Amino acid sequence: MAENEINTLVVRKPCFGLPTGCTQCLSAYLYLKFAQLPFQLDFHLNYPDSDQIPYFEVGNYVAYNNEKGGVIDCLKRDVGVVDLDSGISSLPDWIQTKAMLTTWLADALAYELWVGSEGYSSSPAYTIYYSDLSWPLGKVLFWRKARWIKQKHGINNENAELKKEEIYRRAKSAYGALSTWLGEQSYLFDNRPSSLDATFLAHGLVVLQALPESSVLRSKLLEHANLVRYVQQCKTEFIDDNPTPTYSWQFHTAGSSSTSSRSTSSSKTKSKPKREKTEEEKTFKRRSKYFVAAQLVAVVVFITIMTSFDDAEVDLDE
Amino acid sequence: MTNTLNHNAAQNDDVVHPEPEDDEQEDEEEEDDDDDDVLPNLRTPQSPASKLQQQRFKVETLARRLSSEMVPIRVHDVLVNGNTKTKDWVIEAELKGIETATTMQDLMRACEAAIARLQALEIFDSCKVRLEPGPKELPNTANVVVDVVEANNTVSGECGVYTKPSTSSWSLECALKYKNLLGYGDIWDTSLAYGGSQATELSLGVYAPRIKRLLTPIVARIMLVSQDWQEFSSYKEQLLGASIGLISTKHHDLVYTLGWRTLTDPSQTSSRSIRRQLGHSLLSSLKYTFKMDRRNSSIRPTRGYAFLSTTHLGGLSPDHRSLRFLRQMTSFSAVFPWGQGFMNKTSPLPERFYLGGDFSPVCTLGGPTTLWGFKTRGLGPTEPRRQSRNRADDNNSDSPGWDFIGGDLAVTAFADLSFDLPIKWLREHGIHGHVFAGSGNAAKLTQNEYKHFSPRKFLESFRTSVGCGIVIPTRLFRLEGNYFHILRKDEHDRGKTGFRFSFSAPS
Repeated sequence: MAENEINTLVVRKPCFGLPTGCTQCLSAYLYLKFAQLPFQLDFHLNYPDSDQIPYFEVGNYVAYNNEKGGVIDCLKRDVGVVDLDSGISSLPDWIQTKAMLTTWLADALAYELWVGSEGYSSSPAYTIYYSDLSWPLGKVLFWRKARWIKQKHGINNENAELKKEEIYRRAKSAYGALSTWLGEQSYLFDNRPSSLDATFLAHGLVVLQALPESSVLRSKLLEHANLVRYVQQCKTEFIDDNPTPTYSWQFHTAGSSSTSSRSTSSSKTKSKPKREKTEEEKTFKRRSKYFVAAQLVAVVVFITIMTSFDDAEVDLDE
Repeated sequence: MTNTLNHNAAQNDDVVHPEPEDDEQEDEEEEDDDDDDVLPNLRTPQSPASKLQQQRFKVETLARRLSSEMVPIRVHDVLVNGNTKTKDWVIEAELKGIETATTMQDLMRACEAAIARLQALEIFDSCKVRLEPGPKELPNTANVVVDVVEANNTVSGECGVYTKPSTSSWSLECALKYKNLLGYGDIWDTSLAYGGSQATELSLGVYAPRIKRLLTPIVARIMLVSQDWQEFSSYKEQLLGASIGLISTKHHDLVYTLGWRTLTDPSQTSSRSIRRQLGHSLLSSLKYTFKMDRRNSSIRPTRGYAFLSTTHLGGLSPDHRSLRFLRQMTSFSAVFPWGQGFMNKTSPLPERFYLGGDFSPVCTLGGPTTLWGFKTRGLGPTEPRRQSRNRADDNNSDSPGWDFIGGDLAVTAFADLSFDLPIKWLREHGIHGHVFAGSGNAAKLTQNEYKHFSPRKFLESFRTSVGCGIVIPTRLFRLEGNYFHILRKDEHDRGKTGFRFSFSAPS
């Protein structure tokens, strides 16, 4: 199998003992682990503000996270990855839990990373997203994201404390509801892993591993022993067994080699009936552009030559 | 009395030496001692007719002296008048050679050169140099008086079409200039350029001929550049940065650039290696260009040689995370990254070599970029773009298309034989024919690809094209109507046999 035919999940930087420090990337990682799809990790480190990451590559096929449903839905549709949510994704409890995870908990973590932290360098966001960018670039992008989060929540100087309390209160309620829902089970729904487990576990791992001990959000999560147990169990099973991939500057080379002109491409069928029409139109447009350009050039050349001819006459007169 | 005669002599000078078109005016006045030797009847009153005769005699004598012998003179003082905003030292710096002139002829030449340099500053409406006699106690001396009139209209606009050999494209540029804001002869300009590959550039620049003791002019520019390579390589490039010209002479040019470069792919169809390079990077680089052009013409060179070498070094910052690369371009070029583990790293996408373009390599000194018959970025290493999503439906899916990812090593060569045409009218206007052949290739070396590189394979995969055509050189550009025949090209190269017009500007 050629190197680029290997399933590759491209994620953000591995840090804090995790295969990747970004929750969305980690959630995709965990889902693929649950689905038992073999894959390798690769890293894209200089694009912290991209919504395309994580993306999944195999051969020339790519599933980006900003496409319909996210990277996991694309994989379920196109690659045939197991749908772990079948039978449970239409339940009302499912939808409520999903809403809680993707809004209240995600917002709380984003707030903690970008706004609640004490500064750029001390924030875990720096390590996860910006540590591979030059300082001025990272600083500007961090500030831009912090400003976006404040705008999203309508935070200003007057209501900053109120908003902060509201965000943490909601996170606390969410943790309480999840803890009650989970109970002593191993997974959130039907005692089997699903995409919501991947989402929550990714959130929990980042909160417990990346956030400092002084973090409010972290302390709120630690109040629920069963949630902590649930996260630790996942870590043992899916993270610790697979040591963090060695990260170095060679991230570009992991399983990559450009095909270049030496590769044998798939057979190219050049004539397709449904494209002929548009090809003709394009040719026609191109030819008309050339015609107009030729006219213009002829006029310019004529003027220039005639001008130089006139100049020559004037010289002779003098 | 003597002074009056001298003044009259100056007036008659206007008759004998008509003023040249650029308002250069030199009032030449006799030294006092010479007057005494030459003029008879100094103290007796004279009729206007005989005065005129005497003046004419004086001037003829002076002219004879100047043409037959070196007239010794010494410059006592150089005075500058008329500058209200411009600093004195800015003008004085352009008056080199005047103070050290030892003969009248040298002095006149130095004055002409000084006037040309002052006018080249573009901040004066007129510049005049007058010679006046020095103090009486110092014979054979003269004072040089420079009269300048500062430009009334400090704001001017310009519009033009320029070539960009680096991207093989033209750009339309409009600029607004503000002259002499600080009195240093500085010219501030804001320009907007729009060009091929939907390149747009908005920039603010300043040019100052000198700052106190610094010998080279100061050239600084802040720019926002955006280029769309979506069609060829599935990415868009944006650069927000500043550049400073450190050295700028006829042969040498050194520029430092600091910028924030972002590569994006809104279409999300890019190939693998381009996809991995999307994102942000800090560019901190020095670019040194050595240029020697001994061709007799850049539109139709028939004699001489030209050499261009550009060395571009990126990564000049204490931060190891900035873009690091070394790009060398002469007739034989190579690009490779540097820094820890550089053998495994890939070279930055925009710094690679992309061959192809419409410019004629005959008059464009841009390095190994153009190759007759191939479109912009039309040849070189390629990668398949992203395949359509529905993999189960392969038969109906469109082929993905190919990205040109550029090479780290590029070599091109060309030969062009031009000949005059038999028709006289065509010959008179410089219209001539030419036959040509060109060859080129680009290869990827980074990311351990150099291990697979073989010179024999590289030579065997050289693309070649031949052709013939007619060249119409004009003052501004060189228009060619050519028929190309591609002898060898690779499967994905974008080059076609056929007839094409192209025009390129000399550089």
